[in-house]
Amino acid sequence: MRRQALPAFAALIVCALLLFPIWWMLVTAVAQPDDLRGFPPVFFPTHPSFAAFHTILFDRPMLRWIMNSSIVAGLSTALTMVLGVLGGYALSRYSSRAVRAAGMSVLLAKMIPTTLLVIPLYVLFREYGLLATLTSAALAHCTVTIPFAIWMLKAYFDSIPVELEEAAAIDGSTPLGALWRIVLPVSLPGLGATALYAFILSWNEFAFSRTLLFSAPENWTVTIGIASIRGEYIIAWNEIMAASAIVAVPIIIVFLWLERYLVVGLTAGAQK
Amino acid sequence: MAPRWSLWRPSARGWLGILLMGPSAIVVAFLIVYPLARALDLSFQKIRISRVGAARLPFTLDNYSRALGDDAFWNAALVSLAFVVLVTLFCFLIGVGSALLVNQRFPGRRLARLLVALPWAVPEVVAATIWAWMFDGSFGVINWMLQSLGFIDAPVAWLSQPHQAFAVCTVALVWSGYPFVAVMALAGLQAIPGELYEAAQMDGAHAWQRFWHVTLPSLRPVCAIALVLVVLRVMRDFATVFVITGGGPVGATRSLAIYTYEQAFSFFNIGYAAAVGMVTLLLCALFSTLVVRRSVAA
Repeated sequence: MRRQALPAFAALIVCALLLFPIWWMLVTAVAQPDDLRGFPPVFFPTHPSFAAFHTILFDRPMLRWIMNSSIVAGLSTALTMVLGVLGGYALSRYSSRAVRAAGMSVLLAKMIPTTLLVIPLYVLFREYGLLATLTSAALAHCTVTIPFAIWMLKAYFDSIPVELEEAAAIDGSTPLGALWRIVLPVSLPGLGATALYAFILSWNEFAFSRTLLFSAPENWTVTIGIASIRGEYIIAWNEIMAASAIVAVPIIIVFLWLERYLVVGLTAGAQK
Repeated sequence: MAPRWSLWRPSARGWLGILLMGPSAIVVAFLIVYPLARALDLSFQKIRISRVGAARLPFTLDNYSRALGDDAFWNAALVSLAFVVLVTLFCFLIGVGSALLVNQRFPGRRLARLLVALPWAVPEVVAATIWAWMFDGSFGVINWMLQSLGFIDAPVAWLSQPHQAFAVCTVALVWSGYPFVAVMALAGLQAIPGELYEAAQMDGAHAWQRFWHVTLPSLRPVCAIALVLVVLRVMRDFATVFVITGGGPVGATRSLAIYTYEQAFSFFNIGYAAAVGMVTLLLCALFSTLVVRRSVAA
């Protein structure tokens, strides 16, 4: 037992240090306005105040930003899932030289700087009249989500025995019928994790959204909104931290709850 | 039954694969390949954003030669390099270190494994904002801590001085980046067969020798992949630096990504920006191939 005390103690210290910023976000969000400027800082709030949450939710367009982010993330996740399921299944079961080449080339998307890709996307969306619409941001986010979804789902489909489809074939099902009726139902956990991951990627995205949507404040997403509050003359840190908490805490909870499924996504495509 | 059955024939497999991959390929072609070709085309024109859409301008290499002769470009390249080196170094120190720690046996290690990777779940913009607040020059908690510990006498205006602002951005990038290394390293550690350690122990290897000769070599492949992805992430990062400093003060944190963005959307030199972006992409591609080649060869 004594041999285990040291690593346990070390882990406690390390976690406390590494997670302090998250704690500080929460503490600031519920701080009394006077505490923000007081020394020493208040590390454990004894009189939490939720005024900042009220201000951010009702005196600022936070709810609108949340709605926009949800729409953008929902759209890009939907498109990503349809394409990712088909592409990932192709890589897993019908891999040929052409399919593998396509699969590998989508991985190269990881190398393209967002600030480069956003230039022609800005131009193209302007030509098609899509600039500053939620659709433009959703499509831009797909350049990030589709490549990873294909590989995350490929890894998942690889773990499902081929015998299931062989049995379906003998029962007279077509290949696509087997995918729809046999493979997808048993893949639900993998599909859910992939969709969630795609949603989070889109929800957190900043560079594409900021460039494409900045000219239309009614279409701002949460990340643009939070970054914009800091640009103001007097910075209301408790309001910014309250907004940050609203954006980050749901994802933190999802992560703590589904970590082992999401970690698959974190490393998906990395092994190839 | 016969015609349906025939779709399962081996000769139909190639077509089915292409049919299934087709939609993704088409969308990726429209959203990545074609735009990239357009960006390349823009980089060969002396073009400003207002003129895009009109007739094509004559082919020129001016944007590239301008970049190579521009101090601001080289400064941005240097800033990017500095970020890459420092952030990668600290991401690996903290990431591998915390993975080794939570790989030990102790009560609560499951929770600890979860918690060390937690910053991954914090959106980059939020992380950057938190660090900007913690390093705030007037009421930031870091100034208070450093003052109480006696490291500084008066509050430091972190974000308005070049080196200090660079340090703040580095800290924020490391905090967002190390969880990925930790997760990869932990996966690598768990994949090391216990027999290797037993064999090493039989040969009389000390803990340190076991770490040096068993643990580290086994982690090499995983670390090579993590290295590529962390470097690419830092090279491409826009959100963290943009939110904390916007590239300032006096260009101290203006990386290639920020420089590209500034040129395109603040100064509207879209052709020049495309050229800078292309050079960045080239650097990313060269680095990735180099590391992947070496790790495959090893």
